[in-house]
This record gives sequence, C-alpha cells and structure tokens, in this order.
Amino acid sequence: MEEIKSTIIQRIKTHFSDATEKEYPYNRVDFSVKKETIPAILFYLKDEMGFKHLSHISCIDWLEENEFEVVFIVWSPTDKIKVFVHTRVDRENPVMDNVDMIWRQANTYEREMREMFGIQFTGLEAPEEFLLEDWEGPPPMRRDFDTEAYATNTYWERPGREDAKDIRETIEKRSGEILPDFAKKYTR
Amino acid sequence: MQEILQYTWGALVSFVVAFTVGITYMGLNRKITARVQNRIGPPWYQNFFDVLKLGSKETSIHHGVMQHMGPAFIMVTAVMSLLIIPILNDNRFFPNLNFHGDLVFLLYIMVFGPLGMALGAGQTGNPNSAIGVTRGLSQMVGFEIPWVMALVALMIQYKTTSIVDLMNLQAETGRWLMFTSPFAFLAAVLAMLGMFRYAPFDIVGAPQELASGPMSENGGKYLFVMMSAGSVFAFAKLTLYVDLFMGGANNLIILVVKTFILYLIPMLYGIVSPRYRTEQAIRYFWGWPSLFGLLAILQAVFL
Amino acid sequence: MMINDKNSQKIVDIIQNYARKHSLWILAYGTGCGAIEIPPTMTSRYDAERLGVRGAATPRQADVLLITGYLTTKTLKRVIRVYEQMQDPKYVIGFGSCTINGGMYWDSYNTIKALDRYLPVDVFINGCMPRPEAVLAGFAKLQELIQAGKADGARKYKENLEWYRANQKKVIPNWRMPEYNW
Repeated sequence: MEEIKSTIIQRIKTHFSDATEKEYPYNRVDFSVKKETIPAILFYLKDEMGFKHLSHISCIDWLEENEFEVVFIVWSPTDKIKVFVHTRVDRENPVMDNVDMIWRQANTYEREMREMFGIQFTGLEAPEEFLLEDWEGPPPMRRDFDTEAYATNTYWERPGREDAKDIRETIEKRSGEILPDFAKKYTR
Repeated sequence: MQEILQYTWGALVSFVVAFTVGITYMGLNRKITARVQNRIGPPWYQNFFDVLKLGSKETSIHHGVMQHMGPAFIMVTAVMSLLIIPILNDNRFFPNLNFHGDLVFLLYIMVFGPLGMALGAGQTGNPNSAIGVTRGLSQMVGFEIPWVMALVALMIQYKTTSIVDLMNLQAETGRWLMFTSPFAFLAAVLAMLGMFRYAPFDIVGAPQELASGPMSENGGKYLFVMMSAGSVFAFAKLTLYVDLFMGGANNLIILVVKTFILYLIPMLYGIVSPRYRTEQAIRYFWGWPSLFGLLAILQAVFL
Repeated sequence: MMINDKNSQKIVDIIQNYARKHSLWILAYGTGCGAIEIPPTMTSRYDAERLGVRGAATPRQADVLLITGYLTTKTLKRVIRVYEQMQDPKYVIGFGSCTINGGMYWDSYNTIKALDRYLPVDVFINGCMPRPEAVLAGFAKLQELIQAGKADGARKYKENLEWYRANQKKVIPNWRMPEYNW
C-alpha cells in the first residue's frame, strides 16, 4: 500500500510540476493542481495509472477567499486507492474545463455544479435546466444566497412555529415522564 | 306477446342473478386472497360498495365516441353470452335464447368484447392503454387455441353445435362430459385460466407496470360498467363450463356450488403464481393446453 | 315523492356517502419519505384493505390523493396536474409535518411549507413520519367526514379557484399547464 502510494506521488510529481500532494492514512492521496492542469492529470490518472472510476465531483464555496474549490475523486479498482484532485476556481469568473469526454458520467455532476454553484464548464453540452425548474434567483448553493430569507419571502408560512419554546419541562410535569440528566444540558 | 314478456322478464332475472353472483365471487376472491396472504381482508360484500361508489362518481372525461363505446361493447358481450347460455337444465325460470349452432356463435361473441374494448382503449391516446391492448390481444390469441380445440372436439364427438343438446345428452346418459371427453375438459379449464385474466396471466392490466392497461384512462362510470360486465361475464363463462362439462344444474344452489368450485381453479392458481410475460403466457397456452386440445380432437375423431 | 325531491336526494346522498366511505381508492403519489409508510399500511401487518382502502393505478380511477411528505415546487406542479385529472368526488390527505408547516424543510429554497394554500386538504395526519396506525386513524377520520358530507375539498377548490391559482402561480413562475374543464 505505502509503496503504491509513494509511486503514485512520484509519478504525478514528475509529470505535473504544479501538483502538491498531501498524504492521508489508509488508501487516500490528495493532490492540488491549477485548474488548467485538470484535464491532463485526469487523463493521465485514467489511462496510465488505472484510476478507471470517477467516484464523485464535488464543490466547496470558500466565500472568505473568494474562490470555489472543485474536488475530483477517482478510484483504482486494481490498487484499491482513491485519489482526490483539488483545484481552485475564481469566484467572480468561475470557468473550468469540461471533462465529460474522459468519463461520461461527469456530465451529470457538471450540470449539477453549473446549476447549484454557477460554475461554467467550457464546451459542456447539456440542457440548461437540470434539477431546478424555472429557477430565477442566484445559484442556491452559494453561501451568499440567503436561503432562509428567500424561503420566507417566497413560501407562505403557517403562523405558530416561530416560537420555538422549550416545552420539555411542561411535558415532564404533565405526563410524569422523567427526562434523563444529559438531555437537560441541551437547550434551544 | 306473452312470450316476449316472459323472455324480457327472464333476461332481467338472469342478469340480476349473474350480477349478484359474479360480484360476490369477486369479493370472495379478494377475501380469500387476503386470507392466503395472512391478512384479514375486506368483507365479502366489498365489491358491492366499490361498484356503487364507481357508479356514483362524476365523469368528465371525453376522448371521443369510441371511448364511450368500449365499455358498452363489453357489457353487450357479457349480456349476450349470458342470454345464450342456458342457466338451468329446464328453462322454466330463465327462458334463454338458445338455438342450434349457438356454440359457434358463442365462440365469436366472446372475442367481440375484448375487440371493442381495444378500440375504445385505443382512442384514449394513453400509451399504457395501447401496450395493454397489444398484450391482451396477444394473450387472447394464446388461450383461444386450446379453447376452440376443446369446443370443436365436443362438436365432432357428439355431432351437435347446440349447448342444450349437450346438456340433454348428459342428462339422458347420466355421465358428465368431463369424464367422457376428459382431454377437452382439461384443455378448456387451462384456457379458462387465461380467460379470467388473474395471475399469472394478468399482464394485460398490471397496475404496477401498465397503470392498469386498457382502462387506465377510464374511471368512474366507465369502470362501473366494466366491473359489472366483468362479473356478469365471469358468471356466464362459469355457467357455460358447468353446462358443457359438469352436466348443468337443476337449481340455483347446485349451480352456485358447481360454478364456485370451478371458479376456485383460476383463483387459487392465481394467488400462488407470479406474473407471466406475454410471450411466456403464449408459450404456456400453446404447450400443454393445446396438446390436450389436440388429443381431444383425436379422441373425438377416432374413438 | 318526486325523484328530484329534496328528501329523496338526502336518502340518495346517505347511500352514496356510505358506499364512498367504504371504498376509498388511493393514489399514493410517492413524494418525500412518507411513501415508505404506505407498504406496511397496505400489507398484512396493518391491512388497510379491511377498511376498503385499496390502491388505484391512475388518477382517473382514484378517490384519495395521498401527499406523502414534502413537496418541492417541481413536484407540486405534477401534483396539481394529477389532482385536476381526478374525478369528483375526490379527497386529499396530507401526510406529516412537512405538509402542515414545512417540517424540517421549513427554510428550504424549493419546498412549499403549507399544502392547503395550493390544494384543498381534507385530512392532515401529523407526525414525522406518521406511523401506519396514524395513517389508519387518518383514513377513519376521512370516512367520518365523508359520512357527514363534510369532505368537500373539491367543491372548495372549484369555488375558490382564483385564490388557489394565484398561490400556485406565485411559486410556479412559468405556468405552462393544460387547462382542464373537469
């Protein structure tokens, strides 16, 4: 396991000079690369090193650093090792290279990210709408989108649920049910 | 004049009897299925409620004239075959419209209803209906072969095409045809499994796969007509089997007992069976049932 | 006694309501997590068929529409279409707290919080999710309402159609729906 991991790190670092690795226990290796390197490194991982399976593409919104982080998780069925490839995209102008020619299923993840975070993938061929229908607001998974205010404005709320009082003691008195001590620590 | 009144009265009475008995059988089917599945199940009169409710529903679906005609075709078929099939041995209370050659006419008229239904279902434009119709007609091609073979064997063996003649023959000799021509009986009973469209031959109206198939666009009063027609038709078919193979019945109680015993065959076979696909169903009918039909014809010709 | 006499209509109503009460065909539109409570309710453990409750395959044949849980705006569109395809008399049962006040999805950006603003609901079943016992209690309540002639959600919907439509169009901006004339 450890030899395989060190060979992987060696090979990646010799081929891609901008890759910085971070090692995790068990079967996980992380690399961070520039966003221009993404198609090349994924091609290399799939064709040369046997990482045939794309497990997931995920996105993290780093609002304070004004960047999106896109994570590709690939898995090698022969070596039983998963590799995380991180990259950073500018938040103001989120444009990335499309990778669905490497794995067909990347198309779905990219559509979801385009809809939920507003990341544009150059050359992505897919209909505009994916999960949201008739959505007109900003991409809803961005952290500067105020979900609660949007929900309050759009959907009518039945009055009565805003007072979230702690009624456990009342119930205790009324029904005689004894609350355990640890439950009293947690208050609203 | 007297005769016409008598015929009308007899038709009315036999319709009411067939409706009541058929609906009760369907309710008993649900009850027995529930008991087999370790449930309590609905009461035996549950289907009366269902029919009454369906009849009292408002209906505002309109897809064209043929959609309205579809259930009517089924009803017409059910009532017509009920009127032709003699219900009791002596036709005093149920003066039915028997004539020589009614067996051949019956063979035709029993296919007429599903064909009309297919036309009606086709006009609704629902894709599930179209698939259901295709499957239903394919399956009908399957079970019609042994069924026709069984009836043809009877016609050849006893040199008559009248149901009343066959009943009189059984009454005179005292031997039921299910013993004198057993292969025809076997082929007919196996064809009956497909005729009732219970499992394993219920792919036609499978609720999970086809959204109930041909009647997926028909609710309320359409379904009311279809359910009543189905129960009347079930009773008519069972009575035909009793007339042909089990020596008819001398009174209603014996008729109900005999038909219920026959009805148990598709019912119990269906409860313990999974569902056949269409080609499996056709392969089933063109296997053993058709072989029995062939044996019946051979027996009729050479013995 | 005339056929269209008020008293004879009353008798007919009683008979019809009795039949409707004992024959509820449900269309379980599986929205949200509540759909998983339907199989135990229908199968041998709780056996809702005792009460005449039975599944219907299409909206044309169904009497009761079960909304089993939260409704996103995307699903709400389909549910409205299904509801309008059903034939009178029709009833709606709302399952769980999500249909009552949003439940745990109260601050979600695409789930509605109160179902009865968009469709007329006859019976709400509380819980997250309601147990099959609660579901059966809900059916019993609906039967009571039907017998008393008070389950008139469909009539309410027809009379106040503008109000319901306005609410529906508020959350469904692109209203591309066929118009039904019932």
